[in-house]
Amino acid sequence: MFYFKRAIGSLFIRLCLFVFVGVCLAPVLWGLVTSCLPQSALTSKVPDFNLRNFTLENYVLVLDSSRGLFLGLKNSFLVALFTSIVALTFGSAAGYALARLNVPKSNTILMMILATQMFPGIVIAIPLFLAMTQFNLIDTHVGLIIVYLSFILPIVVWIQKGFFESIPMDLEKSAAVDGASPLQTFQYIVLPVSLPTLFATGVFAFIESWNEFFFAIIMTRVNVKVSSIAIAEFSGQYQTLYGQMLASAVLASLPIVVLAILFRKFILEGFVEGAVKA
Amino acid sequence: MSNEFNLKRKQMGIWFTLPTVIILILVLIYPIFASIVLSFQKVRFLGQGLSKEFIGIANYISIFSNHTFQSAFIRSIYFTAIEVVAILSLSLLAALLLNHPIGRHSFFRVVLIIPWALSPVANAVLWKWIYNANYGILNFILYSLGIIHEYVVWLGKPWLALNMILLADIWKGIPFITLLLLAGLQNIPNYLYRAAKLDGANTWQQFVHVTFVGLKTPLVISAVLQSIWALKVFDLIYVLTKGSPADSTVLLNYLAWRETFSNLDIGYGAAIANILFCMMFLLALAYIRILRPRQTRRGE
Repeated sequence: MFYFKRAIGSLFIRLCLFVFVGVCLAPVLWGLVTSCLPQSALTSKVPDFNLRNFTLENYVLVLDSSRGLFLGLKNSFLVALFTSIVALTFGSAAGYALARLNVPKSNTILMMILATQMFPGIVIAIPLFLAMTQFNLIDTHVGLIIVYLSFILPIVVWIQKGFFESIPMDLEKSAAVDGASPLQTFQYIVLPVSLPTLFATGVFAFIESWNEFFFAIIMTRVNVKVSSIAIAEFSGQYQTLYGQMLASAVLASLPIVVLAILFRKFILEGFVEGAVKA
Repeated sequence: MSNEFNLKRKQMGIWFTLPTVIILILVLIYPIFASIVLSFQKVRFLGQGLSKEFIGIANYISIFSNHTFQSAFIRSIYFTAIEVVAILSLSLLAALLLNHPIGRHSFFRVVLIIPWALSPVANAVLWKWIYNANYGILNFILYSLGIIHEYVVWLGKPWLALNMILLADIWKGIPFITLLLLAGLQNIPNYLYRAAKLDGANTWQQFVHVTFVGLKTPLVISAVLQSIWALKVFDLIYVLTKGSPADSTVLLNYLAWRETFSNLDIGYGAAIANILFCMMFLLALAYIRILRPRQTRRGE
């Protein structure tokens, strides 16, 4: 009887897992299938899944350099890359200082950083838009990167601070005993062991800026059209080309999903748990 | 350690923190205050420049007597409440499932990360396509199963459209909270379960007295974070409905954006943004209070 109950239990768990996987993946798979079908197959009375219909035509068409997406991907890449680099440079220094060096009012600074994470973007977007207009930075890469720093930099400081705290203090103390200055300790002891985390934090910052839409739609017009805007434009057209719309969505999501899967361990440890354990 | 050494550390700390503090003052602190000032002004575009005129709390008065704002406010509360309850309960189930020995395979973590990592706009166009009234897969499946007898215009009816947006947002929100709760579950020491078993607790009692108690902090944090995110929802509305039909999917964040950047009523939009800001600030305070007691561990 006991074993029977156990078997039923494990069957139930397996069934639940199956449903779970289905719920998570079905919409995504449907998007992938759609992106490989021509408009005619998608707009027939019954969706036409004939294998002969499958084509990469949508991908070829949306990647044509005369279309918005190609430029969008390029702009997204540039903006996300530079935002991450700047945020990593300043953010990891600040993270280290707040974790290990006696910065005056470090707790106040940290709490402020945490609180600013919770502001609605619209609050800062309005004055920033006016300021950017004044400095002629609307619709420029630099302008968008500056605005992105407002939400990326605090995340980087927060993750890096958590990481630097996990480095054994003894390591730094023994360096100090050997006569290393604080800067040398940071340069030769702390930084080398931090490289993998720095890289992973950079990936996280990259993902967040790549996916951004709200600030992009406010701060850009035509020159710095990022990929999320290029995709959103598909849905506003008079006659939506569904296959191409989904192909663009796949192209913009794929690099990010791959990065997230590769760095999932870090995302779990660094960010998810960081939200619980301050 | 010597005083000189500590002084050096302090100096370096200041130099290391300064650039970040300056950047954050420029792109965060200044705009927050500027936005408060703007909300007390009537702002107009005049050729190249702006004309600003102080009008006291007139923006706030007209907001609170405005029907569009009132209904957006109520809808935002509804949206947030349902989203938090739905995501927390579904995520808790998912986390328990993935914490079960059979569910611990890394495959399931990968599956979970995919909806989370999808770019929000890609997610929005995906759901727009799924909900499509003529060719959408949702209509096709429900019709084939005989659940509906004619195709439904999912995004065409006020109440329905809002709930369809809610559904898409819930789907997108579950993974992160699940991961958060999963981390919480793994922090519950095993001996607590053994002790409970020794005391004769059955599975349900173990869940209530060990699991649920152990998850209290992660659950409260999830509720706070998810409320903040639900109040911020924008991308989905922008892509799926742009607030239609008849403004029935206009939530606060979207309304603030529309008033400011579509209708160019900057002071009025800033006032709405500040009301949203106050709501989220209260939630942020709650979040910080929950985390604070653990802060004491930090100092050496």
